[in-house]
Amino acid sequence: MQREDHNIHYPFCQDSSKYEKLCKIGQGTFGEVFKARDRNTKRLVAMKKILMENEKEGFPITALREIKILQLLKHDNVLNLVEICRSKATPYNRYKSTFYMISDFCEHDLAGLLSNTNVKFNLGEIKKIVQQLLNGLYFLHSNKILHRDMKAANILITKNGVLKLADFGLARSFSLSNKGNPNRYTNRVVTLWYRPPELLLGERDYGPGIDMWGVGCIMAEMWTRTPIMQGRTEQHQLQLISQLCGSITKEVWPNVEKLPLWGKIDLISGQRRKVKDRLNCYVKDQYALEMLDRLLTIDPTKRIDADTALNHDFSGLIQCQSI
Amino acid sequence: MAGNFWQSSHFQQWVLDPPELFKNRQADLNVLTEDGYQKIMIFFANFIQSLGEQLKLRQQVIATATIYFKRFYSRNSLKCIDPWLMAPTCVFLASKVEEFGVISNTRLISTCQAVVKNKFSHAHPLEYPYRINLVLECEFYLLEMMDCCLVLYHPYRPLTEYFKELQQDESLFPLAWRIVNDSLRTDVCLTYPPYLISLACLHIACVIQQKDLRQWLAECNVDMDKILEISRQILALYELWKSYDEKKEIAAILEKMPKPNTSPTPTSAQDGSQQSQSVQ
Repeated sequence: MQREDHNIHYPFCQDSSKYEKLCKIGQGTFGEVFKARDRNTKRLVAMKKILMENEKEGFPITALREIKILQLLKHDNVLNLVEICRSKATPYNRYKSTFYMISDFCEHDLAGLLSNTNVKFNLGEIKKIVQQLLNGLYFLHSNKILHRDMKAANILITKNGVLKLADFGLARSFSLSNKGNPNRYTNRVVTLWYRPPELLLGERDYGPGIDMWGVGCIMAEMWTRTPIMQGRTEQHQLQLISQLCGSITKEVWPNVEKLPLWGKIDLISGQRRKVKDRLNCYVKDQYALEMLDRLLTIDPTKRIDADTALNHDFSGLIQCQSI
Repeated sequence: MAGNFWQSSHFQQWVLDPPELFKNRQADLNVLTEDGYQKIMIFFANFIQSLGEQLKLRQQVIATATIYFKRFYSRNSLKCIDPWLMAPTCVFLASKVEEFGVISNTRLISTCQAVVKNKFSHAHPLEYPYRINLVLECEFYLLEMMDCCLVLYHPYRPLTEYFKELQQDESLFPLAWRIVNDSLRTDVCLTYPPYLISLACLHIACVIQQKDLRQWLAECNVDMDKILEISRQILALYELWKSYDEKKEIAAILEKMPKPNTSPTPTSAQDGSQQSQSVQ
């Protein structure tokens, strides 16, 4: 190798062979994820393979969104994208190279930690996780991005306890709709157990509230250690929501009757709201219960947003504690 | 989605140095004159504009496609990939990136065919030759060459902001906007940050309407030399347009353009351009 080569700035994608794949660690929305190591620097990274599923679409729009969003958003609580790499085009892949997204490697994901009974979280640790989650989401939402796939498995935690929001395969930018011109985003997003009632009722003009519902589910899971509403079908999921958060009615949620699936899906009536009652055997902290109640609010317009949640008494105490 | 320009790949990787740009063009400039090279770039910007208008894309999507196109050739010779193929590829990718949706394969190709037939037959007398599989393959090269730097910042947004602050006559805004569109036919979008381009366009618009902007520009605290250099390049474009008849001259220039070795229909393409020459 010639020395001066290092001084030249090549804009082209790096060759993926600079990383050595160690093992497969998961399956993202649109590709496999590997743990890998930079052969030169020995730095550990995660390599996500971008699958070309729909040939007609060309380079997948979901991958373009994820790359775009991660390049744009640099924040301590958002997974850092290191670079994009590609494999060499050879006759074996019909001269079509594979693209990889290279990001920082995180040791843990929240789903793994919660299912491991040896890992215990005290109230301070839970607060720290929830606060970082809200910080990351506040940053996303203020940059007009929806994550759209909040769940414990997409929340990574480094060995130093820093939380990183990951998997932006379903994320997209949003704009607040004006009355005459509603947004028409797809409602086929968010893993069922974390899906808010407005999506289950077919709303296409939604906003950051859909991610906040997920925060509520994840936050409760910090104590219950298992997802709180494990529906089998969309209908069943709505039933579980009603049993926890009370029946979905025009009284608690004005304008719900305008949603596409209102009247087309059976909703159970007469259910009392028992978020606090059901969770207080797990959650002893009153502020935490109060915040869960605000997050798991059926009407998305009344659901707490990330900014307000960061100023909630539950969050407020961490700031004092950490000083 | 806003993001921060100063932290963006646009600012960090894609504000190019003019001498570097010139150096990368050398291979093409051995064959073409500088003037001829610029005319080719203008021509394909026009082609992209027509494709975009036919597909009813927003101006921002068209601007993104145009800059993708220029980025590709800022580091590659025209003979690497036929610009007739690169142009719709840039439109296809820009539409996805700018959230305008995936343009259907048949619609993209049929639009190319229609636009070439109805508006560009003077430059491409034959039927549009490429099919979608080549566009999809070309998209890979484009992405790779751009290092997946997808997000672009355009002068339109800063222009809107500055205009609000200026509180000038309403007629100034559409004029400045059109000058921004024209600036896509020069190198300034590769070599200067968009906010400076929008100031330069505003500056030219004021000069045309005989309004004095110097005081306000001085208060903006920007590098006036850069504003003047951008203005100079845009005015040079207007100067070029005065004495240039694209319809008459482009076929001859395109014939000289360096071409890929494995053109899909090399012989007939040559026949075609000879034909158009003999017609003149």
